[in-house]
Amino acid sequence: MESLVTFLRLTLLSMVPFVLAAQGTMLGGRTGVFNVAQEGIMLVGASLGFIGSYLAGGSTLVGIAAAVLVGGIFGLALAYFTTTLKMNQFVIGLSLLFIGTGLSTLIPKLVIGVTLSQPLIPTLQDLPIPLLSQIPFLGTVLFSHNILVYFAIVLSIGLWYFLFRTQLGLELRSVGENPNAADSLGINTSKHRYMTAIIGGMLIGLAGAYLPMVYTGTFTEGMVKGRGWLTIALTFFAGWSPLPVLYGSLFFAGIEVASYRFQAGGIAIPYQYLLMVPYLATILVMMFTFRKTRVPGFLGNNYDREKRSL
Amino acid sequence: MEKEAILELRNIRKVFDKNVALDSVSFSLYPGEIHGLLGGNGAGKTTLMNVLYGLYRRDDGDINFHGQKLNIQGPKDAITHGIGMVHQHFLQIGSYTVLENIVLGTDVSHPVTMKLSAEAQKIIDLGNRFRLPVDPNAVVDTLPVGTRQKVEILKALYRGVEVLILDEPTTNLTPQEVDDLFESLRVIVNEGLSIVFITHKLREVLHVCDRITVLREGRNITSLTRAEASEEIFVRAMVGDQMKIEGSVYFSHGSMANTAVDESAIPALEMHDVGLKTKEGISRLAGLNFQIRQGELFGVAGVAGNGQRELAECVTGVVIPTEGKILMKGEDVTGVSVCELLKDWISYIPEDRLHDGFLPKANVAQNLILGYHRQKPYCEGSFIKWDTVYDKVRGYIGEYKIKTNGPEDPGGNLSGGNIQRVMIARAFSMNSHMMVAHNPTRGLDIPSMDFVYNKMLERKETGASTLLISEDLDELLLICDRIAVLYRGQIVGILDRKDFDKYAIGRLMSGIQAEETADLRAAS
Amino acid sequence: MTIVRKLVPYVIAIIASFAAAGIFIALTGANVFQAYETILFTSFRTPNGFVQTLLKFIPLTLQALAFTIPLTAGKFNMGGEGQMIVGAIAASVVGILGADLPAVILLPLVVLAGVAAGAIWGFIPAWLLYKFNINEILTSMLLNFVSFQIIDLVATGALRDPVAGHPTTVQIGQGGFLPMLIKNPPLNAGLILALLVAAGVYLYTTRTTGGYELVATGANPRAAAVFGINVKRMFVFSIVLAGAIAGLSGVIEVAGVQHRLIVGLQHNFLVLGVIIALISRGNNLAVPFVAFFIAILEIGASAMQRTMNVPIEMVFIVEALVLLFVLLSDVFRRR
Repeated sequence: MESLVTFLRLTLLSMVPFVLAAQGTMLGGRTGVFNVAQEGIMLVGASLGFIGSYLAGGSTLVGIAAAVLVGGIFGLALAYFTTTLKMNQFVIGLSLLFIGTGLSTLIPKLVIGVTLSQPLIPTLQDLPIPLLSQIPFLGTVLFSHNILVYFAIVLSIGLWYFLFRTQLGLELRSVGENPNAADSLGINTSKHRYMTAIIGGMLIGLAGAYLPMVYTGTFTEGMVKGRGWLTIALTFFAGWSPLPVLYGSLFFAGIEVASYRFQAGGIAIPYQYLLMVPYLATILVMMFTFRKTRVPGFLGNNYDREKRSL
Repeated sequence: MEKEAILELRNIRKVFDKNVALDSVSFSLYPGEIHGLLGGNGAGKTTLMNVLYGLYRRDDGDINFHGQKLNIQGPKDAITHGIGMVHQHFLQIGSYTVLENIVLGTDVSHPVTMKLSAEAQKIIDLGNRFRLPVDPNAVVDTLPVGTRQKVEILKALYRGVEVLILDEPTTNLTPQEVDDLFESLRVIVNEGLSIVFITHKLREVLHVCDRITVLREGRNITSLTRAEASEEIFVRAMVGDQMKIEGSVYFSHGSMANTAVDESAIPALEMHDVGLKTKEGISRLAGLNFQIRQGELFGVAGVAGNGQRELAECVTGVVIPTEGKILMKGEDVTGVSVCELLKDWISYIPEDRLHDGFLPKANVAQNLILGYHRQKPYCEGSFIKWDTVYDKVRGYIGEYKIKTNGPEDPGGNLSGGNIQRVMIARAFSMNSHMMVAHNPTRGLDIPSMDFVYNKMLERKETGASTLLISEDLDELLLICDRIAVLYRGQIVGILDRKDFDKYAIGRLMSGIQAEETADLRAAS
Repeated sequence: MTIVRKLVPYVIAIIASFAAAGIFIALTGANVFQAYETILFTSFRTPNGFVQTLLKFIPLTLQALAFTIPLTAGKFNMGGEGQMIVGAIAASVVGILGADLPAVILLPLVVLAGVAAGAIWGFIPAWLLYKFNINEILTSMLLNFVSFQIIDLVATGALRDPVAGHPTTVQIGQGGFLPMLIKNPPLNAGLILALLVAAGVYLYTTRTTGGYELVATGANPRAAAVFGINVKRMFVFSIVLAGAIAGLSGVIEVAGVQHRLIVGLQHNFLVLGVIIALISRGNNLAVPFVAFFIAILEIGASAMQRTMNVPIEMVFIVEALVLLFVLLSDVFRRR
């Protein structure tokens, strides 16, 4: 029982980077902008989140602001190159991925210098919700977390309502389904694409900052460890919808926690096998779900009003 | 004409890359009229209206509306001023409902709860008023083409437009549906709106329009009222002085000699109970039984999406039918791959040239040998003989009048009409017993259409057969020996040339006689 | 004339990216022009510098080809890293287990094992694409992370070299070493293999019917299929071939350079390979030339970090910027 509580609690805790990054990916995809730079944006978010907090004397808020800002800039760049300059989304995504990866290690070296032991920043405080956190079992599992856990859940529900129950959501989705139709009705397709790409980038940057701020207290090279790529897989089999993204993140976090718990549990399998599990499990899940999921009709394409249909 | 024009376009110019699409074109529209905008493909009709609707930026010229100069930057401005447009390829979100499609981009009464009952009622009322009934809650993807067009027109009416532009609205409608559409258009103009009716079909404008403007190659040719016009004037205006009208197939009204078909020879194609089901078990084609004789030009009519593409792909071997047998000259070719069939047996002009037939990222030469690249003289062993290929390709570019800088020009540089010429050149470049041509003249101007018809008729003389699948009923009536009608994946009737009747075929196309024919077949 | 015009955007891109990086380098307090000099000329100052550049050039060329071949068919192989690692693993395992075999037997076995392992590692995403229609970008990328664990497992397992501090296996048999072209500084015959592969790939894609089918598939898979090309088979073939070539790069690292399996031998080769492939715009003929240029930058970057204390990532940013500027030049040509 005790270990089940810990497992569920940790799963909720580890779900956050997946939720934030996948909702960011989903949001961009809903207007047709397919971001593949998650791994790089998360890395640079982690790096700047750490550096921001370090420079501000351990201020979490500054760290988060720095990560969100840099994520937004990457989102803006993606939107500009693809929507305004109409360049291939995947190639631009890869370029941004590389730049993000490079910057993530360059910046700490420039700011802190090459040191043997990286400095530490304070990690995020838990904010138990009064009364609710007193409930046995559920209180520990659900209601005594850091603020970003609550934010991830509220964000998911909020995005669902926004996309499927508001006029703006209807318009936004139409851009990702058929921008020709949206444009012909006077909807500003570029504006929607810029907005979602930027907000999406911010969420992905924040997802990166979560790693040093909750898990390690410091930045290490390549610390995202493929979570960015897992996020893309997750977004696909969540069918680019906010609520399935939330459930899917729980699944991913569960696998991640389980593989670490096994490792700590001293079971006699080489730990390397356990560390393969998230990637193999993802491929396995894709085998069964990939064909059935729905994808926004215009995902990954750029809309050019004056390009004549031949 | 005492009335003031409500809309005037003056000296509109539009250039794409280096191609002048519109060269100083003017156009005026009077209140309460249906104004036909007539011309062959590539004449600039749609481009002109896209400029008016704000989809294309004009390079020069003025737009005056109610006597005031309009500065239209995008569709939003056009809609605000009361201009609506129904595009030939409907601009709809397939996964949205009719209601969502219609209100999209307007301010709804409850933007944060999306309770849309008031909007739904308004759509129903509009539908009743203009004889365009639709179910607001139906998902657009599930609707037939005719209904989707009603949705498009309602979309404009819902926004309270004064001017409604319809781009080739009769494509894909049965003759009966065309009549219904024309009735609705009359109701609309009687309520005070004005309509621009874009078409390449002369008979339609003569039937429904009050005034007619003809464009050719991006220029104004003439503008006349219905009363002062004769068919001859328009024909000449559409094709220019270059083309000989007397000898043409296009203007022959189907009176060209029909050579007799040798009925004793082995049929070029035999379909025996051919059926096709998707993996999910949905039937696309069922119980197809017919023969095409050697030297026959066999037409297939039907509203798009009734199995035409599947039929073409079964005959060409792109897909293997799930039931039945296909014989060519008595040989069973069911399940033989396209690659094999392209050697002497078949040639193919696919319907969707951009998706199914063309390599935009490859050059013209690479496009022209697609499918034939493993045949002589293009290859020797495992190597392609590019010198031979380029020589041949230069010949095709001349013969088929493909406008390009040469064999190494990237395909993406070609215009739609020229891509279609590549499709045609490729299909005619090698001998074949059976040509499958699906909407082969789409996007071609009238002289080029005539060229294709002549090429097809020439095939008859050598005993080669053609399966012509077309959405353009007039085209089929013009040159086919027999016409079969496809409805929901089944052949619901085959007519001999002597029995051709537009409305009878139209009834078959809309499935009206389907039940009766089925009864007849069961009885016999 | 046309070749000059084609080179212009590249030259502008390089100048622009160096200018951008110069600002950062200046911020670190280092001498910008000395840094430029180090980056560009280290390769040509000493024989050792030049051989080091060639040793970088080999895996970079092969990794780039492992990306361009599927790209010709319109597919993205992001698994070059994993394919290289499993190739290296197979080569070392065979090389260690067969250490007593003579070179005539062992060397071909080592090469074949590595190439086959890379091909198999490429076959997995190809098969998933063929059978389940799963996006190959994701699967090939995720398999890289799996391969990181496998190499760790092998290098810390039974074959581990106990005296080495870093996870490393013992040396492979002498018979498995690639012959040397030059003894000192050491340059192995992998260079010739890489050049042969590059030439072969170029001839295949431009001259043969199979190459034509690959190009047609990449240009429009639907149209290619309608006209009789088995596009799914082309996808599988291109990714498997890419895997084999990436596997070969792993073999050369083991049998030509390190003579053992070292965790981390894949360095940054995947990312650089992709950058090279994209700067070449998928043109197989351009790949070796671009790869050589990037190899110069990489060798220069290490020297700059050593002698001037400017982080090596600075050059990586330059490379990414060159790519971005080259891509941008397409946009301006369109206008």
